[in-house]
Amino acid sequence: MKLLSTLATGFVAMTLILSANAVLGQEAGTLSAGVFSDTQAARGASVYSASCESCHAADLRGNSNAPSLLGMSFMFLWEGRSLEEFFVTIQKTMPSENPESLPPQSYIDVVSYILQANNFPAGPTELQAELDILRQIQITGH
Amino acid sequence: MQKSPTRWLTATLLAACINASTAQMQDYAPVTDAMLHDMPVGEWLNWRGDNRAWGYSPLDQIDASNVGQLQLQWSWALDNTGAVQAAPLVHDGIMFVPAPRGVIVALDAANGDLIWEYRPSPQTSSTDSATGRSAAMPATAFAGVGRGVQKNIALYGDRVFAATENASILALAASTGALLWETQVADPALGYHYTAGPVVANGTLVTGITGCSRYKEDVCFITGHDPRTGEERWRTATIARPGEPGGDTWGDLPLQFRAGGDAWVAGNFDPELNLVYWGTAQAKPWARAVRGTDEAALYTNSTLALNPDTGEMVWFYQHIPGESHDMDDVFENILVDIDGEKSLFKIGKLGILWQLDRETGDYINATDLGYQNIVNLDPVTGELTYRDGMVQRIGQQIDMCPSTSGVKSWRSMAYSPQTSAVYIPMTLNCALATFGPTERVLGGGGVGPVRRNNYVHPDSDGNLGEVLAVDIPGGEVKWRFRTRAPINTATLTTAGGLVFAGDWDRYFYAFAADDGEVLWQSRLTTSTQGFPISYSVAGKQYVAVPTGISGASWSSSLPRELAPELSRPGTGSAIHVFALPE
Repeated sequence: MKLLSTLATGFVAMTLILSANAVLGQEAGTLSAGVFSDTQAARGASVYSASCESCHAADLRGNSNAPSLLGMSFMFLWEGRSLEEFFVTIQKTMPSENPESLPPQSYIDVVSYILQANNFPAGPTELQAELDILRQIQITGH
Repeated sequence: MQKSPTRWLTATLLAACINASTAQMQDYAPVTDAMLHDMPVGEWLNWRGDNRAWGYSPLDQIDASNVGQLQLQWSWALDNTGAVQAAPLVHDGIMFVPAPRGVIVALDAANGDLIWEYRPSPQTSSTDSATGRSAAMPATAFAGVGRGVQKNIALYGDRVFAATENASILALAASTGALLWETQVADPALGYHYTAGPVVANGTLVTGITGCSRYKEDVCFITGHDPRTGEERWRTATIARPGEPGGDTWGDLPLQFRAGGDAWVAGNFDPELNLVYWGTAQAKPWARAVRGTDEAALYTNSTLALNPDTGEMVWFYQHIPGESHDMDDVFENILVDIDGEKSLFKIGKLGILWQLDRETGDYINATDLGYQNIVNLDPVTGELTYRDGMVQRIGQQIDMCPSTSGVKSWRSMAYSPQTSAVYIPMTLNCALATFGPTERVLGGGGVGPVRRNNYVHPDSDGNLGEVLAVDIPGGEVKWRFRTRAPINTATLTTAGGLVFAGDWDRYFYAFAADDGEVLWQSRLTTSTQGFPISYSVAGKQYVAVPTGISGASWSSSLPRELAPELSRPGTGSAIHVFALPE
């Protein structure tokens, strides 16, 4: 009975989480379905220009020790990994002179911008900095 | 390529405002070639002291008997807008400090009073909510290329010379900080920028560019400039072009795919031989398989000897032909005569200590300090051969020591003539590394992606940091000091029988040069980082050390990853000056 009760409680909790995510307009999906918006990617471009561009270059192709964030370099580093890993890595390590110094919204906007630069499509809703959601979105080839 | 100074009228200059300091500047004696070579006791005129780059001060007021009494005399905060890797200079009681993003500060070296500050453009007090940029961050904070590193500047005549993150070289008046000229040397849009400043050699400013990793119709270079006008006198490529001598060492790669050879650490000068010694970084992308050639790729990962009057490459020595793991040998060149033999000592990321004949470039000796597993060294010939399985394929994981951080990087070693030893600041770690591909198109290239899992070196007892004292020329280890955090500064030796160095965990240490005993330590605002120096004013000896954030990508990431119990603030960049109590 205890097991059933636990499972039931878990089911209710899961339903609530999914419902809450639906209310927020954010559900787990695939990159090809469009998990960020054009507006968000544009905001991310502004953050990138201010905080990332000096090392990773205006065209995201990197320079010196900063790797390219485009194309086969990006996919080599991130294919098969989740957006959660990508988001958390950027947040914990960047900008290199002062990691975690930007607001979470800026980091998730930069993630959107980099995805768009790698030709992943935009969609109607913004990508939220919610680890439970990001964990379910895999970076896969397209 | 000349820019008129009038174009830079917007430059902000906080000019001299202290009467005493103004009077001090009126007594400022022009820096001469003779001073640069035979540095007056108490001065610190080149980024590593004098032309020999020993990182050694002949001052002995502070010694093993009294160093424990060292006290902080003054500090000056630097911008937290980029990586501090400052090598301060001192002349006539004035300290000149290169700060991040092109800022240069002149301070009274005895008490820290501001004399002038040079900023490339106005400061802002606004907060941009979209970017999250701090209100305290200058508008120029991300204006240039790279992490805003400005390692060293140069003094010559009545001027201060610097090289910028926007690939220009400039001259300031030493007395006021006024911009006298600025010369655009390369296009920063192509990735070019400077992290190392100029050195003066026989009346020529010599400077090496970096940011050469991307594919383009151009190659990396070192230039010589007229210090009076900024006019470029010569430009020497660090990459052999097709059809030129050495051009066949890149296989059949066309010019645009010959990248790397960055000259990102300043060289030094032997006036008797009239040779400038300058290191070059490895070829790009890092891995041979990604680069597309197994050949030597001249003149990467080499020590070059240049005639400063013409830029002619008199000799070169390539330390690792066809290097494939980001193991630079670009670093400082220490000039020591051993039994009359004019030698040059150098150590690269692999932790192999090289001795070359600095007159001819001939190999003399090399000592593998024992922390690398990538190559085998033939000590008779100096030839390196890759160990089985270490020339990696794309996508093949290898277990490499060191990681791409190297056991030694830009943090210079120092030499003491008292002990005939070099003192090497090290970071002991390895990595499971998998090198990935890049697009071979113009604008592509770069270093190449690497999936890496770093780990603490198995022979380090869990420590990331080590100061290693090594006898030269023999290569015997005299002592080692280990600590959990990476050693994060250059070392400084003094005639007081001392070695100074600092770590990422904010500690600044004084060691006994002969046995490594820690005689004094202090804990500072953030990571010690840069080049400690010693100087005197009015008969009093001082020791200065910078602190700073960033440093290089691994400087921030390695301790976070491998020593997570350690932390440092993301602010606290400064210069700190110590002396004995009155």
